[in-house]
Amino acid sequence: MSKIELCKTADVDEGAAIKVETGDLSLAVFNLNGAFYVLDDMCSHGPGSLSEGPIHGDVIECDFHNGSFNIKTGEVVDPPCMIPQKTYKVIVEDDTVFIEE
Amino acid sequence: MAKITIIKSDIVYDCVSDTITRAATRAGLGFPYECNVGECGNCRFELIEGEVSYLRQNPPAITERDAERKRYLGCQAMPHGDCTIKVPLRDHYKSKHLPKKTHGVLTEVIDITHDIREFRFQLSEPVKFLAGQYGLISAPGVEGARAYSMSNTGEAGEQWHFQIRRVPNGRATGSLFDGMKIGESLDLDGPYGMAYLREDAPRDILCLGGGSGLSPMVSISRAAAHSAALAGQNIYFVYGGRTPRDICGEEFLRELPGFGERIHYTPVISMVDDPASAGWTGKTGFVHDVAEAMFGDKLANFEVYFAGPPLMAQSVTKMLIKAKVPGSQMHFDQFY
Repeated sequence: MSKIELCKTADVDEGAAIKVETGDLSLAVFNLNGAFYVLDDMCSHGPGSLSEGPIHGDVIECDFHNGSFNIKTGEVVDPPCMIPQKTYKVIVEDDTVFIEE
Repeated sequence: MAKITIIKSDIVYDCVSDTITRAATRAGLGFPYECNVGECGNCRFELIEGEVSYLRQNPPAITERDAERKRYLGCQAMPHGDCTIKVPLRDHYKSKHLPKKTHGVLTEVIDITHDIREFRFQLSEPVKFLAGQYGLISAPGVEGARAYSMSNTGEAGEQWHFQIRRVPNGRATGSLFDGMKIGESLDLDGPYGMAYLREDAPRDILCLGGGSGLSPMVSISRAAAHSAALAGQNIYFVYGGRTPRDICGEEFLRELPGFGERIHYTPVISMVDDPASAGWTGKTGFVHDVAEAMFGDKLANFEVYFAGPPLMAQSVTKMLIKAKVPGSQMHFDQFY
């Protein structure tokens, strides 16, 4: 297990997402009401970037094919996506967002 | 000639009478794409600077939101002069054999079923391909190219064979089936597609096909049967049709070394109550159900290749996810 620093909490507006690339990982970091969630950025269905899609409550819609996932669990909400999106364990220390890999 | 610059990278490539995505693939870049005919939307890019127009007007995959965000489909967008674009390149989309535009002369036509026919083309210059890949065929008198998978193997690349199912009232297949004569030629472009045989995956192989999905599954089985790297692996080929007159494929597998030993063929029909199905003693139902019943928990040990009508591909994907087959072991063209 190692801790990977992604960004500062202030980098992500509430109800928004940013894309963070670190090592081999390309991640979407979400801020939902002050809580942070991290998913793989590339949609499990195609080459869409989740950090660029619209957020509806707890759900992120991929704007390539309009499939969607639950941001907190990675579960599929709407097709054509069928494979759950990978989620990461998030740790926030002071003003910094980390994942544990 | 236009120069295409990808921002946030040092990459600049040439685009000569070509689309943004195809030119990138020809240049050896991993530009995302899948169907190549404007249907799937995987080749979206953001136009930062420059001007493009579409090869196919109003491609189905484009939405209003794309227009607002200046996003275009790369497989259909032709640049007018130099362009700067934003797109995330990925190695997954690189083509081992770079696609080329060639001409193919029709040398032979073979009927396989009542609606599937094999068309064999001799290329004006050899273009190699990987088993399971597809080419773009411009059928005479039909606007826009169509994607069809090859059925032979492409280590020489002199001939490309296509097993094509006639689409009722389809213009492209109508032109091929009724209009093309031996000795005539048409424009070919390829190879494209990521659903090719993984020779570096040391697993048993499961090929699931229906309808027009015959062609790539035959190609993959042929290449796998002759691959030294896959010599120890079993190949299971499950092919579905509505009634027995749709069933085919066994004749191609029988020619392969190891048929009946490590190569196994299972036909399935879905319209059991149709009078045309009288006397059928084989498996019945849908391909995904039959594959699930045959292999159950062992599915996750397979490298799975599949091709067929959209509903079949969706049902197969769902079944494989339920069976916990990793996405990296599923190979199919996402044509929609």
